Amino acid sequence: MKNFFKILLAASLAYSVSAKEIKLLNVSYDPTRELYTEYNAAFAKYWQAKTGDTVTVSQSHGGSGKQAQAVINGLEADVVTLALAYDIDAISQQAKLLPADWQKRLPGNSTPYTSTIVFLVRKGNPKGIKDWDDVVKKGVSVVVPNPKTSGGARWAYLAAYAYALETNHHDDAAARDFIKRLYKNVPVLDSGARGSTVTFAQRGIGDVLLAWENEAHLALKEFGADNFEIITPPLSILAEPPVAVVDKNAQRHHTTEVAAEYLNYLYSDEGQEIAAKNFYRPRNAAIAARYAANFSQVKLVNIDEEFGGWQQAQKTHFADGGVFDQIFQP
Amino acid sequence: MTENLEQKMKIKTKLKQLTLATAIGTQFAMSALAAEAQATNSTSAEEIAILKREIQVLEQKVDSLEQRQNQSPQSGQIEALDQKVRVLEREREIDQDAAVTATKAQPKLLLGGNGFVMSSADSNFVAQLHGVLQFDSRTFFQDGGLNGNDGFLLRRARPIFTGTVFHDFDFNFTPDFGGSTVQIVDAYLNYRNRPELQLEAGKFKSPIGLEHLVADKDLLFNERSLATDLVPNRDLGVALHGDLFGGAASYALGVFNGGTDYNGTTVNTSFQDDKSFAGRVFFQPWKKSDANVLRGLGFGVGGSYMANHPQTNSSTGLTPGYTTDGQQKFFAYNSGVNANGAGWRFSPQAYYYYGPLGLLGEYVVSDQQVASATSSADLQNTAWEVTGSWVLTGEDASYNGVTPRHPFDPRNGQWGAWQLVARFAELNVDSKAFTDGFASSAKSADGANAWSVGLNWYLNKNLRADLSFSHTEFGGFTGKAAPGTVPAQSENVLFSRVQLAF
Repeated sequence: MKNFFKILLAASLAYSVSAKEIKLLNVSYDPTRELYTEYNAAFAKYWQAKTGDTVTVSQSHGGSGKQAQAVINGLEADVVTLALAYDIDAISQQAKLLPADWQKRLPGNSTPYTSTIVFLVRKGNPKGIKDWDDVVKKGVSVVVPNPKTSGGARWAYLAAYAYALETNHHDDAAARDFIKRLYKNVPVLDSGARGSTVTFAQRGIGDVLLAWENEAHLALKEFGADNFEIITPPLSILAEPPVAVVDKNAQRHHTTEVAAEYLNYLYSDEGQEIAAKNFYRPRNAAIAARYAANFSQVKLVNIDEEFGGWQQAQKTHFADGGVFDQIFQP
Repeated sequence: MTENLEQKMKIKTKLKQLTLATAIGTQFAMSALAAEAQATNSTSAEEIAILKREIQVLEQKVDSLEQRQNQSPQSGQIEALDQKVRVLEREREIDQDAAVTATKAQPKLLLGGNGFVMSSADSNFVAQLHGVLQFDSRTFFQDGGLNGNDGFLLRRARPIFTGTVFHDFDFNFTPDFGGSTVQIVDAYLNYRNRPELQLEAGKFKSPIGLEHLVADKDLLFNERSLATDLVPNRDLGVALHGDLFGGAASYALGVFNGGTDYNGTTVNTSFQDDKSFAGRVFFQPWKKSDANVLRGLGFGVGGSYMANHPQTNSSTGLTPGYTTDGQQKFFAYNSGVNANGAGWRFSPQAYYYYGPLGLLGEYVVSDQQVASATSSADLQNTAWEVTGSWVLTGEDASYNGVTPRHPFDPRNGQWGAWQLVARFAELNVDSKAFTDGFASSAKSADGANAWSVGLNWYLNKNLRADLSFSHTEFGGFTGKAAPGTVPAQSENVLFSRVQLAF
């Protein structure tokens, strides 16, 4: 009988210490598919070497605002890697799935890489688009997603708004008029950045796509540099797409440790390298210098300084009844 | 718009013709030049230069025509129209995508073999309607003239309402309209923090007996065996429970009002100061193993303890009686005998399933301090049972029933699944119950053993028809073999059942 219990105990211990199969869900915004496909494979390899466990990361992509709402409504993300801090704030505030100070948990405002908004135009730039003023000209057709649902669209909107403020001595009325003219040129609003890329590049609509820098580069790779070209305006916005562990979901799934490491590893040399290769501006200065040729020099305004942070920007511009609702007539 | 398109097409065709003519002309010219050069064995650089210039002029003409075409008002209109069409098509695409997304966000309604299921799009809220309907017959043979025991009966008629609210909170509400009284069978909430840690509260099965924990729809015989006579039925309480190591082990530990040995009639209230602790651990170490032979092995132990069962006016704390497979009472304590002090149960248990074969067994000890007006004692009753099953049609046997591989469909030569079942069970009452005057051998037997055989027919996942026979013998009965006395003779009963479960 004693032997029997020894065998049972040994079997139980063997079971408990054997390699685990871990599943993570990364709920992200639209244009990060390629980045995280590559990064997930690298992280899985790293984690297996470190712990022996197999980790499989599932990805979910869509407009950042829509993705945040999905998590609030119960999509059980272990981590979120969204387009802007406001969307993760919403998860924290409305669903209480992570603490309010989540952004202090990782370096650089929990933003392992940055980006900005650029113009993607058709080869030869037939409309001669060089700066924001060209985008609002009559007869220029602009493709950009809906800022109500897309994080990239909100960055694009604010970049244009910042330009208008700067060129109009911070006259808010003039800036609103500028942004109104811009959206008058938008024939169709997609819900996310990837949808707008499809609209512009595949469906052949519009003269210019207001795009994430990485998405614009990806479009060149995907649809051919002989069809499109990237125009970087002299002024744009510093876009910080943050990342966070969704604490309560991760706790429930027993994935807190691996989820935290999944995000930490984005700051590693390998993580930064993958980000840079996918045309995100890495935080690591050495790696950023190595990939400097991929990124044009541009004056970047900061949302905190220009718009008082995301909470204020959201309230003023994108909340129901905000500036966007006032200026945009579908 | 059609005219414009035609015009555009004509211009393009002309351009192509011009380009083609130029190319052909050039080719001929070059060939002629080469031939002449060969013939004269000399090269005229001047003539080549002239031809090159002519080609350049022609190319310029083509470019000019192309530019004119692009700059023409008609061309602008065509492009504008083309953009409008593209925008409309894209908007339609986006609307379709939005419609698909909206559909995904709609609540789901499912109807199938697992009942009716309504679910919110994210599955955080689920409501399910299941049911069990069992229509039985019992026919007794050579019963010494017992009256009123043969007949048809609605053994169970239970709508089962289950569901989930806010993702982690499950509920179950199950009334039973079968039998002679309507009662609430299950009514509980279950909080799933994680599979390993769940909290259940309400009225549900005490986690002790292996056979008792088999779902009613999956029982192999119409009635549970003599061994289940010694475990409590549903009870009111709170229990922590969960599955560990992916289901390789499970546990339940709870505090309950403390039910008597099995009583078919359950209560919804019970006010007494002391409570009973009940728990069970069960192991299936090879549940996920590749070793088929061991995968279906499970073993564990259940038990309960109550420090001081109080005597109350409303309850004796003892069983109203132990019953046979035919649900006839063969043992009862004398009037005025009550539980008085500590009571405990202990039940080692195991099952083994391998392909179509199944084996389930358990042993139960129920120990209770009792008292009458004149004496007290610690009584220890014991029971055990072994049930074997064999699915003749080859489907896998399991603790959770049999799913026919080929549901009943005589037109296509399919007959569902057939299963042979056999069982032996025994129950022994502590002899002190009789020697110390807590029970009378003139009215009760001091034990019983029963064997049963049966044939179960699973027409499909929801319908089932069973036929079984049970023979029970009694010991220690000294009463007269008068009509109306159950243990005066062996019990022979033929059961049948038709069952709908979904």
